[in-house]
Amino acid sequence: MPPMGHLHMEHVLQAVSVLEAVILRSFGPEGGQVLFTRDTGQAMLSRSGTRILTALHLEHPLARMVVECVWKHSSSTGDGSKTFILLLASLLRLIHAAASKESNVSHSYNSTKAAEAATARHLADKLLAFGLKELDELIATGVVPYGGCISWEDFTVEGQTPSLTNNLCVQKLLRSFFHTRCGYTHCDFSSHLTCELLSHWKFKNQLPSFSLQLVSDYFPALHTPVSGFPVRSSRLIKGQVIHRDFATPPLKTDDQPVKAVVLTGLLQPTLLNTGDVLELGYGGRMKEERSILLFSSWMESSLQGVIAKLQSLGVCVLLSAVKQSAAVLALATQAEMCLVECVSEDELSLFSQLSGTTPIWDCSMIESEHVATLAFCRPIQLGAHRYVHVAFQDSEERITIKPCSLIICAPGEGQIEQYACALQDAIRMLLRMWEPMHAAATTTSKRTLQSHKSASLHTDNLTEQTTYRSTAIQPIQKCVLKSGCVISAGGLFELLLHHALLQHGHSCSVSPDLNIDASVSQLLANALLSVPQKIYSHSPRHFLESQRRVISFLSKFPNYSHPLTLVYKRESTISPIQAEGPLGDGKLSLHCCREGDKFSKVSELDLGLESVSCKYQLLLAVLQCVASLLKVDTVLPTHTALHTQSRRFARTSWEGTEDEGED
Amino acid sequence: MPYVGIVYLNNVKSASVMSRVSKKSPSVCTDMPLDNTDICSKLQLLKQILTSCFGPTGRLKQVHNNIGGHVVTTSASSVLLSSVSSSQSFINLIKTSILNHVSRFSDCGLFAAILCLSLIEQIKKSALRESVAIRVNNYLLALCTSYLQREDCGCRVKLDFCSTQNLITLARSVISSKPACVLTEPETLHISKLAVQAFLLTVPCSSPGIVSFGRIVTVPVEGHSVLSSEVLPGLLVEMPDGLSEEDNLLNPLSVVLFSASLAGDISELGDGVIEAHSDVDTDSQILGQLLELGRQVINDEVKLFVCQKVIHPVLQQYLRSHGVIVVERLGIALMEPLTQLTGAQPVATLHTTIPPKTYGKVRDLCIKHFGSKTMLHLLPLGESAICTMILCHRNQTMLNELKVVCQTAEHVLRLTLREPFALVGGGCTETHLAAYVRHKSKSEVPETASVLMCSQTEYLLGVELFCCALESAAGALEHDGGSSLIDLTHAHRWMLPADAIKETMEDSLGFCGCGLVQSSPSKKWTYLNTKYSDFCPSPVFRDTRVQPHVLDSFTAKLSALQVAIETANLALDVKYIIQDMN
Repeated sequence: MPPMGHLHMEHVLQAVSVLEAVILRSFGPEGGQVLFTRDTGQAMLSRSGTRILTALHLEHPLARMVVECVWKHSSSTGDGSKTFILLLASLLRLIHAAASKESNVSHSYNSTKAAEAATARHLADKLLAFGLKELDELIATGVVPYGGCISWEDFTVEGQTPSLTNNLCVQKLLRSFFHTRCGYTHCDFSSHLTCELLSHWKFKNQLPSFSLQLVSDYFPALHTPVSGFPVRSSRLIKGQVIHRDFATPPLKTDDQPVKAVVLTGLLQPTLLNTGDVLELGYGGRMKEERSILLFSSWMESSLQGVIAKLQSLGVCVLLSAVKQSAAVLALATQAEMCLVECVSEDELSLFSQLSGTTPIWDCSMIESEHVATLAFCRPIQLGAHRYVHVAFQDSEERITIKPCSLIICAPGEGQIEQYACALQDAIRMLLRMWEPMHAAATTTSKRTLQSHKSASLHTDNLTEQTTYRSTAIQPIQKCVLKSGCVISAGGLFELLLHHALLQHGHSCSVSPDLNIDASVSQLLANALLSVPQKIYSHSPRHFLESQRRVISFLSKFPNYSHPLTLVYKRESTISPIQAEGPLGDGKLSLHCCREGDKFSKVSELDLGLESVSCKYQLLLAVLQCVASLLKVDTVLPTHTALHTQSRRFARTSWEGTEDEGED
Repeated sequence: MPYVGIVYLNNVKSASVMSRVSKKSPSVCTDMPLDNTDICSKLQLLKQILTSCFGPTGRLKQVHNNIGGHVVTTSASSVLLSSVSSSQSFINLIKTSILNHVSRFSDCGLFAAILCLSLIEQIKKSALRESVAIRVNNYLLALCTSYLQREDCGCRVKLDFCSTQNLITLARSVISSKPACVLTEPETLHISKLAVQAFLLTVPCSSPGIVSFGRIVTVPVEGHSVLSSEVLPGLLVEMPDGLSEEDNLLNPLSVVLFSASLAGDISELGDGVIEAHSDVDTDSQILGQLLELGRQVINDEVKLFVCQKVIHPVLQQYLRSHGVIVVERLGIALMEPLTQLTGAQPVATLHTTIPPKTYGKVRDLCIKHFGSKTMLHLLPLGESAICTMILCHRNQTMLNELKVVCQTAEHVLRLTLREPFALVGGGCTETHLAAYVRHKSKSEVPETASVLMCSQTEYLLGVELFCCALESAAGALEHDGGSSLIDLTHAHRWMLPADAIKETMEDSLGFCGCGLVQSSPSKKWTYLNTKYSDFCPSPVFRDTRVQPHVLDSFTAKLSALQVAIETANLALDVKYIIQDMN
């Protein structure tokens, strides 16, 4: 392909198809890990679409643009990068097909290529406009009623009571997330660990986003990677781990409480600042006071004063952001204080937040508000390193959380990094899911959906449920997507939206002036189908079967809203989300394989749940990407000043290497 | 369009000329690494190398690089794996997993590597889908770990700390599994006993509050017989100048320990400039201060003066003339053991009087000779968890391996404090586990298969592959052409020498690999890699007189098992490799 010239639909499609081929290796239940070695020689494992795409170091300007879009999307939602590429490829293919069909008819353009491009651009703009205008409502009416809702309030992990269905839902949601990001092996374990972590960090009387944002912001300080252990050794520990070792012998006793101070400056006073000059033996009149010893002994005595002051406040742990002098270490040891040096800024700020104290620069100004009270402060050996483990005292008035840190274990560093990234993205995904979409409507609609959900727990009181629905449907239609909506994974979202889009197109085509809208929604509907198609790629029969079942379910019960699932269900995992059809009748349930068909590969797709709002944002991002991709018509390679220098050298060898250049 | 071609070419050329502004070259991708012949042959080679090193009769490897560096003779996984590097990141993925395990647990690295590689190989050879194999492996691993942690586990031995018998066996198994140490039978036993003795010395018996372990400081001595190795309580430091063996000192001795330099340099005052007039003798002022310090120390009747850094010669001379033993340049490594030994607190202030509580005590001093080395031995006053291990061996290479092995033994022994168990060695744990998994997985096949979302045939195939991998790890202990057998009651491993006659099999078998079971006419055996009808392996009736000859670390082996299976699962899950070529 020439580096400069007009871009045609084919080029765009070609570039995206290459990306799709790479992504497919790690997509869906049969997908696996991608191992990559960085230029530093470091190995990294990933199933995350964004990381795989960025690791490719693509040269193609269009492909780089796509990767940029994927990166932007996934950094805001933490999820959906692989589906992004699949949807993008499928949309481009359909637009291309539609455009080339139409351009054969029209003759007003100079060439068929240009006509094609113009039609495609037009279509993409209309798709985006449609998406921005009507997609949320379509999802709210066509998809959301078949899912469930998870609210932050009910989310706890105190596992004694078995009726904690909401927690189970979050676990399922996270489970499917970890399945797509880290593989099958530890998805249950990781989702449980994440749930536990988040439930410990739950602030009372605060929005979910506050807790999640806090955990997300302090994630580097909150986790400790430990290599060489099996993944199952990962665990939560109470309090905070400071990733430094004691510079002095640790505390000998385990008495409570322990008083600690965060220092940002040097404990030993600095006598001479840069630029200062100390003159010794002034004017030949040698006095005792002007000897160097005076200064160093003054320094030592003032240091002793500071240590004595700290001792009088009962302080026995010093957390310092900087390295202290040998004299400080020795004096602190003699005063039976323990000192931790070079603690990172992140960790100190988390510590201050959790202990409710402020760091101090100059220790001579110390007041009691700088002194934190800890439950304990001990050394902890994690893998090869010894760290400092602190725990905070529970105080009723301050915060109601139980601060805890995460220890991530895995045999190799690459795996640890993968788990840490997945965990961070999972938190981002939850954050996005619970983020109020349209602030005005959230409070009322959340209530209704919750009560609706509790009603749907009992499949037998069907009448009650349907009457309730008729009242509850109003706010849903009026507002849009609520926070916390989830739907069974495995392509159900796409199948339902496909159906809803077709219905919408059908109703639009009745009125002649909106005819153009119908073709757009038809196109989007068909593009959506590619996702479940790829999920079921190992057995196309099951794709058709599940599609047929969704359609037959919707046509039989057009007015019921009920959580449904596509998956073969084991008895042990009954949850309201997975409840069968409204009548509890086996024939009407959406199981895509029969009870006896236990060997069916479809049963591997017990993938759990996915967030509706993330899916909605994914769709919008894809539509935006398509529109911007098709707006580009030319790529102009430019040269910086540095390159012109060497052009002369290049031109001499131009004749012989013509073929290379054209590649 | 030709001009466009020129522009593009220029771009390429300039990129190669100016590497700083060059574009990133595209990455190299490998699809389905396990179907790649290059990767497969490398995996096989790695397995061969590691298998041949396994166990007491394992073959040694000489590692030397192409630029004429130091030649290392070893069979230890930590040394071998860290010196072998591959261009294939797939191989490195497995390698780092195993190395990380070894750096945490010191032991069972070869076992983990062999198990992992043979599991990958078995699954690759079979037609089992990777995703199914991963699920089955995961399930069977959980089965194994829960069995090993059960009270009635047939291959686990509870360690009795009242007797050192089992501890010595445990240490001996570690030491004898490394033939590169070149130890005779009595030497092995001697070193094992020393390792246990040193370990026991580092466990504090009666200390209130938080218990902290002591430390073993190793002093290698080349050119002496292994049997002259010994363990001493206390520390050995370099022999200070001007000390004769005739000196008589009153016991116990008072000790002062400095962490700051006493060389007479100016202390840190800040970043500013110090201007001294010519008539000011700062050096002598500081020296005066140092001598003042010395005077106080002498007044306080300190007999041993130790400094981490350098001491001014005048101060040294002054102290010596007053009968104080001076040790300088101790180094940071010995500072912590010395504070633990003496109870002294390091001093870094030069102007204030030294608080009396910072002084420590040493019970006695004596001079020790080891070959060409003469060292000062500091004995603790009362109980102290610090001890010194003097390791002697004939040459440098063997001594290095012996040092690694002793550290492993120390680590393995320390792990028993957390979990006071050991696993029977000699391949018996592996065969026993395989028999258990075979037996256990035969029940409830349809249910398990549906939980694992695969067919029953797939599940049973997965079980067979897993057990074969375990058994091949046990079989890897044999290197002399003999064959491995398994008995059909306890499922322990037996060795049949290559020259044994079929009729006298019972006699040539003797004891099983771990030494718990003796051969008897009522027993039945089968070859390790043949099919046998599954049975529940019964635990050995424990006769207290019969002690196992070979024991493996429970904690290390359990983790090795988990790491091996997890790494194999990970390797099976890798579908695509991207290699950055920049």
